[in-house]
Amino acid sequence: MASEEMNEYRGWIAERKVRRSRLTRHQYTIGLLQEGRHAGLLTSEETMRIQQGLMLILQELILRYTQGESTSVTTETAEDIMLSVLYATDAYLFGLGQPEQAIDCLKRMSIRDIYTQGVETVSQCFADTKQLYEDVSQTMVQVPIDAYRLTIDESLPVFLRKYGMIFHAHNTMASIDYPLAQDDMKLQGVFYMKQYLERLQLENTFCNQFDLQAILELLSHYGRMCRFDYRMELFNLFQLILNQSVFSTLCGGAPTELRISVAQYERLARRLASLSEDEIRTAITSALTIIQQELKLDHQLIPYMDGCKEELVQRVKHAAEYNSLDHVIVMERQSAASSRVISFDKADVMSSAQLRRLLDQIHSCASTEEKVKLMLQKVHSIHDYLDLLESNCLYGDEYEALFRAFGEMELAILAKVVFYEELRNESLVSFISAGSEEDRSEWQRHFVRFLRDKDQDALRSMDRCVNELDYEQLSFN
Amino acid sequence: MFWPRIFQSLHASVPELYTDELLGLNEQTRPYGVALTEQEIAMIMVARDQVLQSYGRVELGIDVTKEMVEQFASSAYVEQESYAETLMALHEIFYNLKNETEDRINDYQLIHMMKSLYEEECAGSIDLLQSRLEAYAEQCRVEAMTNDNDLEGDDAAWHLKR
Repeated sequence: MASEEMNEYRGWIAERKVRRSRLTRHQYTIGLLQEGRHAGLLTSEETMRIQQGLMLILQELILRYTQGESTSVTTETAEDIMLSVLYATDAYLFGLGQPEQAIDCLKRMSIRDIYTQGVETVSQCFADTKQLYEDVSQTMVQVPIDAYRLTIDESLPVFLRKYGMIFHAHNTMASIDYPLAQDDMKLQGVFYMKQYLERLQLENTFCNQFDLQAILELLSHYGRMCRFDYRMELFNLFQLILNQSVFSTLCGGAPTELRISVAQYERLARRLASLSEDEIRTAITSALTIIQQELKLDHQLIPYMDGCKEELVQRVKHAAEYNSLDHVIVMERQSAASSRVISFDKADVMSSAQLRRLLDQIHSCASTEEKVKLMLQKVHSIHDYLDLLESNCLYGDEYEALFRAFGEMELAILAKVVFYEELRNESLVSFISAGSEEDRSEWQRHFVRFLRDKDQDALRSMDRCVNELDYEQLSFN
Repeated sequence: MFWPRIFQSLHASVPELYTDELLGLNEQTRPYGVALTEQEIAMIMVARDQVLQSYGRVELGIDVTKEMVEQFASSAYVEQESYAETLMALHEIFYNLKNETEDRINDYQLIHMMKSLYEEECAGSIDLLQSRLEAYAEQCRVEAMTNDNDLEGDDAAWHLKR
């Protein structure tokens, strides 16, 4: 009877399978140990042997980490090193494909050998990532988008310089600000970075099919459409160009044409507004097919582009419903600022030492008039004005005296820079009449009060100046 | 994360090995009139694990315990009756110091410093040793902070230092 029960139990164990849904790329080794036990593919002795093997590796690495100076570390450090060890074992075991094969490998190979192979896999991935970075760097689109440039020029090199594949293999130690059109945040460490660069390279390849001047114009129009300084914002260039190319194709233009006139926009908006969701999807799919055929794109780029389709369909459907397609399709907008040319010269910006000297001089001035006169005389850049105002070198009525000495354009520039977020959504007039002074620095509270005391005509005139100013003209270099 | 539990279980899986290693040291310490029984070793290991856990540290192996036994057995202030208790107290001081100095001192330097203070300034007082070492840790932190601040500062100061 006991023997029958045992056979039945063995049969039941044999029927259990590795539950793939319980296995994730992240912490794959741990998942395999748990699922291997669950499916009866690993015995408790084998699991214990593997765990102890991992501990021995950890013990050696702790000594290496402390350079033999200490045999103990904080729990956080030990966990971090263990995660790094598991990152390497995950890399090797995941590369084997089927989980059953990986479990078999855990049974047959020593965990140390698996770890060594894993470090080799991570090392190879790191070498590939370095090469990919070179490619991305060479195909970089020459656009003044800070997040894009800083990510490629500064953050990625920091990662390549600092990545530690023994103690911190799982860490993605870089501030990657530039968002991809499609990102997979489930990955970590160098595998994430490799994937990021592969996708960025695909995006660069696509963007480089378009005329740079047309891209720069598109960015200007996009900035005006969103009422923001596109250079400082986080958005994906590839997606912007792809969407615009789709709209251009839907207008009957060439896929590489990024300019859409007001008349073209109006025709397209009327057409899209009359389509159902399915019809919108069909239209966008056709446009994507035309783009893919005409641009002779890489076979990897096509599925990547297709992956962006549904989001565009939903955006267009939603915008068509709410009559806001002008917030999705970038049409050519005349630069209202054509009559205004604001010139900022880098040479006008003071050095830290000059600024400190000026601050001392301001503090020693006896009267408000003297302070204002000195500032107007010595300060020639918006940067320096902002630095001085933030340093609280003025008191009470002195702020008003300074603002009174400014012309309309200076005040408009100051407002445009200081109320960047607020002016994206509302006019200066409505912001000033309703805007709260809370959460503002002292000088900003004085500035809001000063503007509030102005009459409506003066504010409206200043509002026009604000609208005429393009962020591109306000250099912050 | 279940690693702290696994780290703990690893100690639990090899107590015999540790006991043998520490019993083996009795040969060296008997000439000084002190030795550990199996029961005392078990108590020390439990106390050590609790200290490690409470200070959020992981130690794989008993090198620190062995070094403490070797160093302190020869002290004129250590007596057989309080030998095990003294070792337990020293473990607490040691791991606290490792944390407080952010691992800036290596294990052997720290144990030797503890021994030297215990023998000389503290005349065998554990409380005094603890307070002396707390003052030392404070001094370490101030020095570390000064060094960190020196690396910051404005451009002019930076250039001068370079």
